[in-house]
Amino acid sequence: MTGAARYVRLILALARYGLARELAFRGNFLAKIFVEVLWLSILLIFYRTIFTQTSVVAGWSEAEYLFFVGCYFALEGLIETLFLSNCSEFSELVRTGDLDFFLIRPIDEQFLITCRAIDWSTAPNVLMGLGVMVTALVQLGWPVTVAQVVLFVPLFFSGLLLAYSFLVMLTATAVWFVRNQSLLEMWWLFTSLMRYPKEVFTGPLGGPIHWFFTFLFPVMLVINVPARTMVKVFEPWFAVYIVVATVLMLWVSRRVFRYALNSYRSASS
Amino acid sequence: MTFPVSKYWRIFRVSLIERMVYRGDFLFGTLLRFLPMVTTILLWHAVFEGSGQTELGSTVRYDLDQMLSYLLLVHISRAFSSMPGLAGGIARSIRDGSLKKYLLQPIDMLGYLLTYRLAHKTAYIVTAALPYGILFYLCRHYFHLEHLDATTVAAYLAALGMAFVLGFYFESCIGCLGFWILEVTSLLYVVNTLNFFVSGHMFPLDLLPPFWATLLKALPFSYLAYFPAAVFLGKISGAALVKGLVIEVCWCVFFCLLSRVLYRIGLYRYSAFGG
Repeated sequence: MTGAARYVRLILALARYGLARELAFRGNFLAKIFVEVLWLSILLIFYRTIFTQTSVVAGWSEAEYLFFVGCYFALEGLIETLFLSNCSEFSELVRTGDLDFFLIRPIDEQFLITCRAIDWSTAPNVLMGLGVMVTALVQLGWPVTVAQVVLFVPLFFSGLLLAYSFLVMLTATAVWFVRNQSLLEMWWLFTSLMRYPKEVFTGPLGGPIHWFFTFLFPVMLVINVPARTMVKVFEPWFAVYIVVATVLMLWVSRRVFRYALNSYRSASS
Repeated sequence: MTFPVSKYWRIFRVSLIERMVYRGDFLFGTLLRFLPMVTTILLWHAVFEGSGQTELGSTVRYDLDQMLSYLLLVHISRAFSSMPGLAGGIARSIRDGSLKKYLLQPIDMLGYLLTYRLAHKTAYIVTAALPYGILFYLCRHYFHLEHLDATTVAAYLAALGMAFVLGFYFESCIGCLGFWILEVTSLLYVVNTLNFFVSGHMFPLDLLPPFWATLLKALPFSYLAYFPAAVFLGKISGAALVKGLVIEVCWCVFFCLLSRVLYRIGLYRYSAFGG
């Protein structure tokens, strides 16, 4: 069996196991889904409240902004489903020394640590985000062409991998800070840079942030590039840039993660 | 026998030392906490610019400076009122049986947890004072303090202190529900998510339509974020301020008594599972 096929089989097996485990605690599973529905409702109420006071925010109309929110919710849903719960457990593995048992297994450490379990309770977020995007497009009079969809899908997944690379680097800090228990909160704080259109970042305060987080630490591209392609304008230069940035940041994040593992000193006896 | 104050003082000291061991993680987290504040400031700049108006709101109106002051001040409110891990910790002690240590030792569980939390809040406020001080200094032009007098400052400090007490006893009540439902995590997720919105953390409750604004202000959650910030900004004054403070005292007493009652009744159901 080739290496890639082995990893695909592993992902499928882990996904089946994760689903069986979630369904063993169906009440908890449904409660978690309910929380996600609640969170999306709060987000939508928040933006509805804002748009009762104004018709446009940083050049984005309510429907365009709704698409942006849906795109963020779907992408964040994928991050939470595939990686976030795994990464949040990393600090505890470091603190207790249980990371030893992950390092001795005959499999890539980064794969095992960041992809070993699938959190199915956040998977519906992807569908909910998709629903919000479709609603927004309907409100806009469905101005979508096939070419836009063909461009949007790879840009969306490029954004996903770019976000993953930042998550991996944030996770790796647990080795140096020892107790990095609030990774979920840290990730939520960090993603505040993805949650808003880039036009919001203007002026003496926003300008430098815009520049830094677009060109040096390109987290601001994650949602902006795919969302703008669908409801604003396709910018070829930024499309190429997000792909290049994704490849580069994946490489950098892997180097940082391996460097962190090299700095790890087992805590167990 | 050790005098009780000395006993709780030692708990305070040990908890403070424990917190400061992880100062690198703590400082990094504090730095990250600035990001949403900065993005929020920029978002509301864009909202006001887009609206073309100088003031937004329904019953009580806010200009841009007041809005941004409010959004910075709710972080102070939440620094006092948020209790991460408290309810989950109580429920875990009930579930795994470690609660029995409070029953065997001459110490009151809620008293211990209150002292422990006080130490953690002290550590947090001391460590965060510098970065928050810098942030507030940089944002000083948003704050207009002409209306501030001794009464308003005293009322603000009282509202903050009570926000801590209310936050603590409210979370303790949820934790004590662990005597009946064992796993409170799901309930806690729902409450915390709702709390984020209904406490006025995201925007002043005055921006909502009058019916919803009045309803949410009547709930205890508004005292965890909205009320102290609105008091500081002078949006609540005179008889309304006195009424608000009295209601906040009532909520504190109510949740304090409720947590005691839940704890006492819960102990009758407690079976001390685990080694």
